[in-house]
Amino acid sequence: MRSLLGLLAVALLALLAIPAAGDELLPADRTVEEVIDHYIELKLQAAGVSPAPSADDANLLRRTMLDVVGRPPTVAEARAFVTDAGEGKRVALVDRLMASPAFIRQQVAEFDALLMRDTKASLRDYLTKAFGENRSWDRMFRDMIVGESDDPQQKGAIAFVRARAKDQDRLATDTSVLFFGVNVSCAKCHDHPLVDDWKQEHYYGMKSFFSRTFDVGEFVGEKDYGIVKYQTALGASHDARLMFLTGEVLSEPDAKEPDDNAKKEEKKQLEELKKKKEPPPSPTYSRRARLVEVALQPQSEPWFARAIVNHLFQRFFGRGLVMPVDQMHSGNTPSHPELLAWLARDMQSHNYDLKRMIRGMVLSRAYARSSRWESASPRPADDLFAAAIVRPLTPWQYGTSLKLAATNPDTLSGKLPAEQLEQRIQPLEAAGRSLAEKVEYPADGFQVSVDEALFLSNSEKAMQELLQGGDDSLLAKLTQFSDRREAIETAVWNVLGRGPAEEELQALDEFLARRHDNLPAAYKQMIWALLTSSECRFNY
Amino acid sequence: MPAILPTRRQFLGTAAAGAAFAADMTVLNCLRSPVLAEELKRNDKRLIVLWLAGGASQLETFDPKPGRATGGPFRAIQTCLPGVQICELLPRLAERLKYTAVIRSLDTGNGDHGGASRLMHLGRRDEPSLKYPDLGAMIARELGRADSQVPDYVSFYTATEGRGNAVGQSGFLGARYNAMFLTEGNTPPNLRRLEEVTDLDHQERADLRRLLSERFARGRASGPLASHNEAYSRVRGLMASEKLFDISQEPQAIRDKYGPTLFGEQCLIARRLVEAGTPYVKVSRAWWDSHGQNFETHLELCSELDYVMSALLDDLHDRGLLKHTLVATLSEFGRTPQINASLGRDHFASAWSVTLSGCGIKRGSLYGKSDDDGNTVVEGKVGAAQVFATIFRALGIDHKKDYHVGSRPVPLTDPGTEPIKEVLA
Repeated sequence: MRSLLGLLAVALLALLAIPAAGDELLPADRTVEEVIDHYIELKLQAAGVSPAPSADDANLLRRTMLDVVGRPPTVAEARAFVTDAGEGKRVALVDRLMASPAFIRQQVAEFDALLMRDTKASLRDYLTKAFGENRSWDRMFRDMIVGESDDPQQKGAIAFVRARAKDQDRLATDTSVLFFGVNVSCAKCHDHPLVDDWKQEHYYGMKSFFSRTFDVGEFVGEKDYGIVKYQTALGASHDARLMFLTGEVLSEPDAKEPDDNAKKEEKKQLEELKKKKEPPPSPTYSRRARLVEVALQPQSEPWFARAIVNHLFQRFFGRGLVMPVDQMHSGNTPSHPELLAWLARDMQSHNYDLKRMIRGMVLSRAYARSSRWESASPRPADDLFAAAIVRPLTPWQYGTSLKLAATNPDTLSGKLPAEQLEQRIQPLEAAGRSLAEKVEYPADGFQVSVDEALFLSNSEKAMQELLQGGDDSLLAKLTQFSDRREAIETAVWNVLGRGPAEEELQALDEFLARRHDNLPAAYKQMIWALLTSSECRFNY
Repeated sequence: MPAILPTRRQFLGTAAAGAAFAADMTVLNCLRSPVLAEELKRNDKRLIVLWLAGGASQLETFDPKPGRATGGPFRAIQTCLPGVQICELLPRLAERLKYTAVIRSLDTGNGDHGGASRLMHLGRRDEPSLKYPDLGAMIARELGRADSQVPDYVSFYTATEGRGNAVGQSGFLGARYNAMFLTEGNTPPNLRRLEEVTDLDHQERADLRRLLSERFARGRASGPLASHNEAYSRVRGLMASEKLFDISQEPQAIRDKYGPTLFGEQCLIARRLVEAGTPYVKVSRAWWDSHGQNFETHLELCSELDYVMSALLDDLHDRGLLKHTLVATLSEFGRTPQINASLGRDHFASAWSVTLSGCGIKRGSLYGKSDDDGNTVVEGKVGAAQVFATIFRALGIDHKKDYHVGSRPVPLTDPGTEPIKEVLA
């Protein structure tokens, strides 16, 4: 059995490392964006597909800002970018955005949603600190699984574990999915039916890393003893071995199960600590720390590096290089295996610097392509990345977009110093979050709910937040124009970050012309139609 | 994307949505499938769940143990079925058991409100990495129309006790199948046009919205984009369905039958909804969790249940709807046979009862048996999955049918589950 698993582990590693030899990949000193484009364009050529042209400036600015700082541009920002004739304006934009506090907020929002959605806890404070100092991803992984060394009261990253400590299956599954890109939970009751790599022993091996973890009051603790038992589909009972996904079985200090009296004593002690609101004592040997150690060993690192690369790729390109992102196993080939391998290697050799990877992704040509497929041939499969994938906005992106779009552009003038603009935008972000409560967080197979449509159509709250005619509102601005077309032009810029097409101008003007007896009311309906249009709802 | 295999929905839905997004070959598979005809036939099937939140006592409802130490103060009375007795708190339902199958042998193994409630909403245990749809979402998916102008999943839960346990999740089926969830009053939020928007404005701005969005969607077809426009295209229809929630449109004689309680009114709304085409309505009545004063609690709640459910069954029957509509009483669990020091009964999942009435059910049947004191199941032990499979089959839905989440097939009920054939028509 042992040797069989050994063999399996070797086979797994071989498959994982495709392509294994580093010298088959592009050299390590290329830039991330260069390499992304190299491999994506190689595959496009092989498929005989010429990709969509680059998105226009207004489109690319909106996409980049939504992705990097979580909001669309103001009209002033959009107009300035479109009229800027400078060569390096895109690089300058990305660098400026990534140096702003809004980038940290967007990172926090994205990662908090990725790591903590469907739990009742948040990592917001920890993530703000960690992204503020551009902490490396491997360090953050350690912080979240083991806890931070300077956090005895467990207020920080350990919330990742604490929020799941009541359910060790969930803790094991979420950790595997989020940090290693694999979902072994199908192997819980039997060997995985579809994936040869994953046996029941892998599942219980992974669970074993967390089986000594418990929650007590507001703290998590870890015991020095305890093993997981499980039954095979045929009913045989096994003690789980501490095993990583590679199949590596880890040796560890002998753990003796204490007798009942000692357990009672231990329980009493924990209860007392709980009363005093003090954390339980640290174990002399921690299985969770062991997981971090083994996951970051050179021979198992590809799991960890590939998973984060794939999550980021999905975030910025609309799909991962492996889909679904929790099925990174040998039977599920990446769309661009060399690219994934190169990016994973780059992650490792650059100290798991998320910022570097993100910058490279958003500066690639592939990222900048138009989402519209205008060629007569059918739209190519999404995994060719021939055209940008239209992505639903997250709740906070949509909420902020709506609030910004409904705001009088004069209050967000381009003449404002960056800090002041930031001060005006932050409350809009906060209001946007509350407005977007009905908005579903995007996931695979995302659908817009009818609740959202009903809310934006008929609720007092949406009306108040978006269409009341205070001085700060877009509506107030529009009523200042004597020329309808000027009003339309302003509204479209404000909501969509671009000028209206002739077709749109005509349709909107016809609508307004029919309502010329009460233009303010008509403007309201026009703004509503723009706010609820698909263009405003998606990152395209 | 949970690519869901051939269903009538895709057959009807793709054209109706009018979306350019139709690159789904399963539509064609569907036409070849022999199950299609059957699926079309069951178009008019409906389910109403009366959710007895907190856990109703089987002893004070459908499985009395008169004369035993566990029996409590109430008598058992003869029903219209020979040899079948139920608790005297349900005299009207006793006369109507001819519509009903009583299942007295649930052993569901979970006595915690939260977990048990999830189990009885999902029909299976949670799995960490897969978010299952609940019964309502699956019924909406199987029996609703993609372009439906009425809501296809309506859930009432007005009380605050236990509302946190009231599962409403469309899971991997997607937000299209979210519940219309009513927690305050009898009218859903955001169905009524604001007074400051005229009907003409409401209509015309929606047209304008569609025009802008269709222009945007050119060359960008995608599922999520299509769902955005589909959601907005349902708004006006759903608004028109607001009248279904207005019981003042019912004759007083009918309203009197259901009675003036909130539960009665909501059951009347449930009937109005299923009549108009809503495939799934859940009416929750709380709070049955009688750890103390079990008998007073049940005297009050059973009397109401007896009155209202009888009115509902009669009304559905009189309108010819009962043959298409299944009415189920479900709970998270039953209550202990032992009576505690506060004259209460505690949580008990080892031998409790549910009922199924109407559509697809072998009427007047009794299934399963608990022992003389009601402590264990002695005949016909079933769990949540079998009850779900029975409900699906009664409604003409293949409970073994697979959804696909990625490449993983996920059947409507866990593999190996069989319905309770003895109670199916």
